[in-house]
Amino acid sequence: MTSLEEARELLAEFPVVDGHNDLPWALRKQVRYDLDARDIAVHQNAHLHTDIPRLREGGVGAQYWSVYVRSDLPDAVPATLEQIDCVRQLLARYPADLAPALTAADIETARGEGRIASLMGAEGGHSIGCSLGTLRGLYGLGVRYMTLTHNDNNPWADSATDEPGVGGLSAFGREVVREMNRLGMLVDLSHVAATTMRDAMDATSAPVIFSHSSSRAVCDHPRNIPDDVLERLPGNGGVAMVTFVPKFVLQAAVDWTLAADENMRAHGLHHLDTTAEAMKVHRAFEERNPRPVATVSTVADHLDHMREVAGIDHLGIGGDYDGTAFTPDGLGDVSGYPNLIAELLDRGWSKPDLAKLTWQNAVRVLGAAEDVARDLQATRGPSNATIESLDG
Amino acid sequence: MADLQDDTSELDGLPDPYKPVAASGAAPLERAHAILAAHPVADGYNGLPCALRNLHWYDLELGESAVDTDVPRLREGHVGVLFWSLHLPEGVAGDRIVAGTLEQLDLVNTVVRAHPQGLRLVCTAGQATDARNCGRIAVLPGPAAAAALGDSLGILRALHTLGLCVLTLSGVSWAGEDGLTRFGEEVLREMNRLGVLADLSGASADTARRALAVSRAPVLFTRSAAGTLRPHPANLPDDLLAGLGAAKGLCMVPLTPEQTGPSVQDVADHLDHVREVAGPDCVGLSGTYDAGTAHPQDLGDSSCYPHLIAELLHRGWSEPDIALLTWGNVQRVLRTADFTARATQQRREPSTAKIADVDG
Repeated sequence: MTSLEEARELLAEFPVVDGHNDLPWALRKQVRYDLDARDIAVHQNAHLHTDIPRLREGGVGAQYWSVYVRSDLPDAVPATLEQIDCVRQLLARYPADLAPALTAADIETARGEGRIASLMGAEGGHSIGCSLGTLRGLYGLGVRYMTLTHNDNNPWADSATDEPGVGGLSAFGREVVREMNRLGMLVDLSHVAATTMRDAMDATSAPVIFSHSSSRAVCDHPRNIPDDVLERLPGNGGVAMVTFVPKFVLQAAVDWTLAADENMRAHGLHHLDTTAEAMKVHRAFEERNPRPVATVSTVADHLDHMREVAGIDHLGIGGDYDGTAFTPDGLGDVSGYPNLIAELLDRGWSKPDLAKLTWQNAVRVLGAAEDVARDLQATRGPSNATIESLDG
Repeated sequence: MADLQDDTSELDGLPDPYKPVAASGAAPLERAHAILAAHPVADGYNGLPCALRNLHWYDLELGESAVDTDVPRLREGHVGVLFWSLHLPEGVAGDRIVAGTLEQLDLVNTVVRAHPQGLRLVCTAGQATDARNCGRIAVLPGPAAAAALGDSLGILRALHTLGLCVLTLSGVSWAGEDGLTRFGEEVLREMNRLGVLADLSGASADTARRALAVSRAPVLFTRSAAGTLRPHPANLPDDLLAGLGAAKGLCMVPLTPEQTGPSVQDVADHLDHVREVAGPDCVGLSGTYDAGTAHPQDLGDSSCYPHLIAELLHRGWSEPDIALLTWGNVQRVLRTADFTARATQQRREPSTAKIADVDG
């Protein structure tokens, strides 16, 4: 049996729980939620990384659908509700393949039924508009993790890709973490500054996740997790879900992106500008400097290191499909997970270890958050704190 | 689902034969209590969520003097169903309205859960009856302002998932002075599909008429009295009352001096008039307590309904008509809305209409 066949056999029993997929955002941007225009029951290779046939091929058994909205627009809360509605429409439309899931038990049940457990994660504290009532509303609608920031700081938490603001979490930020603990919503530390990671791990009484982040020691990018934080995961019980985004995982791609951004600025353009003129400048740069390509092996290097630092019980996978323009060779879309598992088999990872990576750790962490919530609810009512009262 | 049919007239034609509950020789107030014990008040508008927003250390179970609504007084007034308004205080505007409505829904949830002996959150007629049979006061979240939708049907569905039952169709571009736009009609059809009731108090006359024509489920006026007796922007002219009667909607008369007058008799005059013009099936009550308005004499808080019912008995209202006024009409409207929703869901997919595409 080849290692790829072995990987598929393994995934049939312990499928992938993926921490982050931006299909709802892609559907919002491409077709404004016209689900007829992107019927994911059939291949959508031309438009999307994600559809049901490829999720099946990739051995995905549970997916956290991101209900991401932009952090630089004022209508984050309304837009988040629309993203949630999109996921609910998908669930209503494809009931034979997607199973609504709110708990660890739901995830296990879906596996037994051969359906893909579908959960929701909000990507950025801007989605609650500084309001714990809104946070509880999102939980009521089924959101089971919230990333504390996206690319920009919010008033109570610092982002990895912004200037230092409150220096980690503010007092209100810590209250947000505690209220998430009380609800049973996982605290997601992808995208946040290292200071925020440390503050959140101090404040939380439940395990945390990194829904899509890799190792900073392997590739020095602020979106990745420093070793001192990875070292705390065994104590916390949390899970770091490795991501595939080339510009975070491959040092050459990090450097290339920095140079490309610098080139844009040298031409008097913003580095995220996508106008025709800007794209022309960008293409010229790319012709002179070929884009470095990440591979399955690049991602496996991260997992090897993260395993050494955090331990096998604290690893998972968060592909960030449909949230990134470029993907590594061999991991081009959601059908690619078996290639990663095959690579790890070749590197000597045991089957029980791989079962933890793909399935068991992620299911365990949600169940642990539920247990903590049950305990906290016995002693603590809903928090009425406001940012004004705590941060002044 | 074979028994689901679009035509609900058959159901409406088969009311249970009415069995009197009050001794005919007793004093009106005594009879009022007996009737209300069997047919409690379904109160169409209560502003408690907004009033509690800035109130700390309250206890609705034991009684709370800072507000006009608490469990002891609701029980004394024989209130069985309470619509809890999600309208926001003045000054909450723009993109804060959606988040503000989420917060109001959260507050309703939290308050109801903190009073499990007295209150129970419901959204259908069956759940309301069930709550009553368990000795609980049924709380229905709504109405919310139309602006809470942020012009998006996806947000309507999300708010409905969180419990929203009633939406006031005014103050937005698609339900303004010129009536419902095409997007407005699509909102109303989606509300029918979900089972969210339309509230037309405060809506423009054009919006109200169009909504009466478009809606497959009965509509509500949660705070409207008779315009011929007392001019007020939210009170209804007789032609609209007659139209409401024909559509089997519900005009819920508020207990406020501005809309009905300063005495119990004034309120009763409005109830007489609405019953006469719209019909006994189309009149209801709306306490409007804790909504920032004054109240007629002897109707100062939610315990006072027996006084009003005694006045109606004094005027010769029959027991069956009072039972319809207090409980039966709201039950019918909620039941029909459920039925319409189930029937519509067989036929219509969730709407993906966008305001920019439909209204241009």
